[in-house]
Amino acid sequence: MKIEIDTTLRCDVLIIGAGGAALRSGAEILETRPGTSIIALTKVTHPQKSHTSTAQGGLAAVDPKDPLDSTIYHMFDTWKGSDCTADQNVVKIICESAWEQILWLENRGMHFSRNRDGRLSKRTFGGHTRNFGESSVYRAVFEADRTGKGIMDTSWGETLKKGIRFLNQTIGVELLIESGQCHGVVALKQKEGVFVKILAKATIIATGGSGQVYRVTTNCRQNTGDGLALVLQAGLPVMDPEAVQFHPTGIVGPGILASETLRSVGGILRNKDLEPFMVGYAPKMKELAPRDLVARAIESEIREGRGIINPDHDIAHVWIDLTHLPAEVHEKQIPEVSSFFKRYVNLDTKTDLCPVRPSNHYHMGGIPTNAWGEIEDQNHRIIAGLYAAGECAAASFHGFNRLGTNSILELITMGSLVGKRVVEYLKEQPETHHEPTPESFPKRFSGYLASGGTESIGKLRSRLRTVMTDKVSVFRTEESIAEAIETIADIEERTGKIAIVNRRLPMNQELLQRWELDNLLLVAKSICHGARYRKESRGAHFRDDYNKRLDEFNHHTLIGIDSRGACHLQRREIDMSIFEAGGEHSAHFDFIERSY
Amino acid sequence: MTTLYDLTLNIFRADSADGPRYQTYEIQAGPIMRFVDLLRMINDEQDPTLTWNSSCEHGQCGTCSMKINGRPMLACELLVENGVKLFGTTVFTLDPLEVAPVVRDLVIDSDEAYERVNGVKPYIIDPLPQGQGEEEHQINPDQLEQYVDATRCINCFCCASACISSHRTFLGPNAMLASIVRVLDPREQEKDARFKTIYSDQGVYRCHTSKACSHVCPKEIDVAHFIALAKKGFDLE
Repeated sequence: MKIEIDTTLRCDVLIIGAGGAALRSGAEILETRPGTSIIALTKVTHPQKSHTSTAQGGLAAVDPKDPLDSTIYHMFDTWKGSDCTADQNVVKIICESAWEQILWLENRGMHFSRNRDGRLSKRTFGGHTRNFGESSVYRAVFEADRTGKGIMDTSWGETLKKGIRFLNQTIGVELLIESGQCHGVVALKQKEGVFVKILAKATIIATGGSGQVYRVTTNCRQNTGDGLALVLQAGLPVMDPEAVQFHPTGIVGPGILASETLRSVGGILRNKDLEPFMVGYAPKMKELAPRDLVARAIESEIREGRGIINPDHDIAHVWIDLTHLPAEVHEKQIPEVSSFFKRYVNLDTKTDLCPVRPSNHYHMGGIPTNAWGEIEDQNHRIIAGLYAAGECAAASFHGFNRLGTNSILELITMGSLVGKRVVEYLKEQPETHHEPTPESFPKRFSGYLASGGTESIGKLRSRLRTVMTDKVSVFRTEESIAEAIETIADIEERTGKIAIVNRRLPMNQELLQRWELDNLLLVAKSICHGARYRKESRGAHFRDDYNKRLDEFNHHTLIGIDSRGACHLQRREIDMSIFEAGGEHSAHFDFIERSY
Repeated sequence: MTTLYDLTLNIFRADSADGPRYQTYEIQAGPIMRFVDLLRMINDEQDPTLTWNSSCEHGQCGTCSMKINGRPMLACELLVENGVKLFGTTVFTLDPLEVAPVVRDLVIDSDEAYERVNGVKPYIIDPLPQGQGEEEHQINPDQLEQYVDATRCINCFCCASACISSHRTFLGPNAMLASIVRVLDPREQEKDARFKTIYSDQGVYRCHTSKACSHVCPKEIDVAHFIALAKKGFDLE
């Protein structure tokens, strides 16, 4: 089978991805520069199926009308939450434009929950405080428990209204970069099974997370780190890949999120002997200790043999006990999560112990960009015409630990900022497109189709995800990371012996999964090498053998992978501009201790 | 010890080489495996070519909708033991939804299915200018309550599949919902265009009030209630 370009499409702006960040940037461009031709391609069947749609809790934004809150508090919380590894210029820009973004969504039809005055309701959320940690604050606006869906529906509607062109079930397989400038991408339209060259003056990568690297994850099936792999294959680095967040209570099996609310209403974590073990890890705060601490406590119990194995999924877990709570709590305060247990493990929170375990949740690391979403190379030079936004990007707003409700805020603010930047960039661009020749995709895809052997994509993928969950998740050690690196190398070698049964291109699910497996391997590898390099503990990255944060690691990690598969590490300084600007609050933005 | 179920799955296969047919897979699975897990097991252990689709796999996106023993539902929401109980059998037939042509096996042309939703303009056509300066609109929560359920639709097309009205003549329950929401949303000024769609010859009067839409909706939205509301001219009193 000959792998070649079928057609060439031309547009002003190409967006790889069609989730919250992607479409917010698209809408921004179409509002400020009507008539811009934009193509957005997405792996899923429709933009509404993007992972953004599953975000529940809320959207952090300081309401300027609120006399008790202030953007400087939001900046502080984000900085502290990041374990002092966020970039302060980015933190400032995002926190300051947050409310403007809320109004953008509200004015265009997002169905925010309302208070009695008809204004936007607000919630408190972990780590969000007033007056530099004094007390918790009502800062998160929300659309019931489907805030992400509200963002997705609104930004999809706006781009549809203004004439974006969607290519659904389409993947970007090779960036067209020449002399430090990006000119578009080669894409595979899955349904038709054809490769198209999409030439664009500006390209935005917004491919979302990489949760499928882990066996137990709250992420959707499609989050295979495709954008990260795309830049790695183009010889560009990823930043802080080792910064991966684990939520303490994912529902065993599917890994669906069981909200922190379960613990705040009085849920008790128990091990296989039914002991309430949190008292041994956090005598005062117990179940209400911070997310990372609870996740480590649960993992410790499992590791020391006090977990329970779920027979269906063959995964170890602990119990969350809610049986002692009055019926009213189950019905009024936790109806959604209760329904998840009912629907996915057939258990009744009123009468049954429910199985939970830490679940991969969010990738703080990603494609390095500056504060306007422009992608940088190893030497901090901008790749002209290439941008990234959303979970795949690291500007970095979250550093080494993300606060709840800050992720979807980042999507829309960075999406909008990138849109503005692209409009400026387009002013300097010539009418005609430059047309580089693609290099790698024909060889890669014909290799996939031609290879023979007995290895199975599913089994190799499962082995990768298991080793990452067992060895490089909540706890990491020199030894466990080395073991994972070794396993990854073995899997990489075995991928050469995968035979794809269906060798026709249209709607070839096997081919897609083969491509995804390569992406997962690249991302897993970068996570492992980042985790091995960082001989300290910081935010979500916890090393048993180096359990303290160290000043010598006060910087970002940049990891590139060369064509032979070798990893190269470099560093990027943390932006400290709020601290350096001085003023009465600057001391809060130093490398402070992260204690709650 | 957990019980293992011996299941028989008859799955619709369509690829241009062999033409449409059913293929039978025998599979053993635990009680709380979801139907998406079963399909993945078939891919990993028996047949990597069986093609299907999913995304979030926890009932929030509507990608994995299909017909299981004739009933449109989300494959991620049906556990093995619940399926056995619901249908009283360990034999299941899986078909693609018939709301659009099949691309391959259980995958339909969702672009075509979505055309109906795109056509009713699922956004605010002409937004009411917001209050003074840079502010949000004020919407009374009681007013929001009247239509908020209709905003929960995820466009899985289960309702459109179950609807007894013809797909050729009716835009479908979910497309109607997308229109009805914007009639009820006080921020939308362009109501006339909405009414034109809703009362067109492909609109709500094609509905035969079977209420199948409400019955199968995975989000438990009372779709039929909103269609009835439109039929009586949005008289909310």
